[in-house]
Amino acid sequence: MAKKILDMDDLHVSFDTYAGVVQAVRGVTLHVDEGEVLAVVGESGCGKSVTAQTIMKLNPMPPARIASGKIQLDTHNIVKCSEKEMQNIRGKEVSMIFQDPMTCMNPTKQVGKQIVEAIKLHRKLSHQEATEEAIKCLRQVNIPNPEERAKQYPHEFSGGMRQRAMIAMALSCNPKLLIADEPTTALDVTIQAQIMELLVELKHKINTAIILITHDLGVVASVADRVAVMYAGKIVETGSSHDIFYRNTHPYTQALLKSLPSPDTTKNIRLASIPGTPPDLLAPPVGCGFAARCEHCMGICREEEPDEFDLGNGHHAKCWLLHPDCPSVEERGGKL
Amino acid sequence: MSKEILVEAQNLCKYFKVSGGRMLHAVENVNLTIQKGETLGLVGESGCGKSTLGRTMMGIYPPTKGKLLYQGKELDLKNKKDRFAFAKKAQIVFQDPYASLDTRMTVGSIIEEGMVIHKMYDPAKRRERVAELLDTVGLNREHANRFPHEFSGGQRQRIGIARAMAIEPEFLVCDEPISALDVSIQAQVINLLRDLQEKMDLTYLFIAHDLNIVKYISNRIAVMYLGSVVELASSDELYAHTLHPYSLALLSAVPVPDPEKEMKKERQVLSGDVPSPINKPAGCAFSTRCIRVCDRCRQETPVLREVMPDHFVACHLV
Repeated sequence: MAKKILDMDDLHVSFDTYAGVVQAVRGVTLHVDEGEVLAVVGESGCGKSVTAQTIMKLNPMPPARIASGKIQLDTHNIVKCSEKEMQNIRGKEVSMIFQDPMTCMNPTKQVGKQIVEAIKLHRKLSHQEATEEAIKCLRQVNIPNPEERAKQYPHEFSGGMRQRAMIAMALSCNPKLLIADEPTTALDVTIQAQIMELLVELKHKINTAIILITHDLGVVASVADRVAVMYAGKIVETGSSHDIFYRNTHPYTQALLKSLPSPDTTKNIRLASIPGTPPDLLAPPVGCGFAARCEHCMGICREEEPDEFDLGNGHHAKCWLLHPDCPSVEERGGKL
Repeated sequence: MSKEILVEAQNLCKYFKVSGGRMLHAVENVNLTIQKGETLGLVGESGCGKSTLGRTMMGIYPPTKGKLLYQGKELDLKNKKDRFAFAKKAQIVFQDPYASLDTRMTVGSIIEEGMVIHKMYDPAKRRERVAELLDTVGLNREHANRFPHEFSGGQRQRIGIARAMAIEPEFLVCDEPISALDVSIQAQVINLLRDLQEKMDLTYLFIAHDLNIVKYISNRIAVMYLGSVVELASSDELYAHTLHPYSLALLSAVPVPDPEKEMKKERQVLSGDVPSPINKPAGCAFSTRCIRVCDRCRQETPVLREVMPDHFVACHLV
């Protein structure tokens, strides 16, 4: 069995605000094995970014608070780590690339210097060696003329190039886990294809585990080994990429996939939309978070939170429809 | 479908002055017709001039060169009266529902404003229309007294659509109306746009970069690259017989939500970035990234020509 790089157990993250406590993450359990790509999908505000940021403790605490749960990153217990220990872990054990390559680099510093800074912080190299290493990193992400490019400033790079430089920076200290938070949302499809190809290539080359956060199910289908679908601060369904796309059981996963037109969708078919909007996490609903928008909602869904049902081979879903005592949808007069 | 032409662009150009006395050629020599009642999809990467073309075609920007015809009549957009009359017929839904609504106006007054400007109906009837429009786009009548910040992104986009519909236009430019929305909300807005088209016999120019959505909603699709239309065909034809190398690369770059198909797909990844529209490459604009480039491409600019019935391509190699 592959080695677990990240093991997250029943994580709860809350934000204390003037309006009340926002329960952004409400019990997330997930794990990432060595060298695999786990995609976390969900709508905006479902807690996927907060989950990822908590792995690196990037949210200022307070207002953020890890209410309960456990995060085990390789040998480190993240929840218990002090800020000083975290500084050693960030960049070295786990690093992150962000959505907007325009705003997450220092505009007053040469790109090469920014990478050198990260390398010198975590590895015992001389300035000369670190510079060479930085150029090697830039070459690894297919930036042409890395020697020249390293001396340029971020504004001289195009969006796709900047995202490549970000990836180079993130991988410069060979982290065990790379978190990619919507890495291609701000890019065009042709550039997105370049970046996704690069990520897959690097995954094979250096065997880094990747958590890919996205709302684009197309991107998920092209690169992910496993998928976790999040809704209202919880993982509602998780499984291999094939489980999620072909053998999905949770009504939210099904609705999400149905609402996307594929190239084969003909014009006379009406797109299946999900009525309503996600719930407010200031006052999360009792029971299943998706109940208000679910077309198969039953009485119990509004009263009690569904258990997690094991569907074999690591495929899990949280939905009362999977309970053995639940009448099948056909029996209740609906259709799936 | 009737073949009556509603909007026509003839050699339309739109340049912007940039620093150093240079010109940014945002839209170059575009010839495009939009038939009444159809949806024309416009796709391309960011910076290829698709939004500029959309805005020029509905009169926000006066064209630098070329003509814009509406129902066969040339529009003089420098003439205020003409522009005002055209604004009554052509409306736009913007991309960002957070930036395109005035935060200090109530939803009711946002929707009503167009009718006031165009002196439509009396105040009582206008309020009734606002309520009707809110119903049509799937919001509550009571929402008229609220402010935009009280609504979610999808709801705001509905307000934007209601505002555009208020003055009963014939032609609607949808400038990436769904790219700022979540997947589950996108389908709601797409369905709404299709229902409205059916009900009111609208003509759409639908600008987007999500090719799956564009194929779904459009009758015909125009692919733009660096200010020019490189391929134009019916949406099924474009996907079945893609001819221009850029369209091919663009279509193959779109990930499909289906892992089996993704694995089998031969992806053609374009190298490099889009050249700057200030210093365009000589000859074919795509020649710097094209895998089938030859000497002729670097010297001679290809023109859009009909290679099959109703299928236009601008490429020397086709």
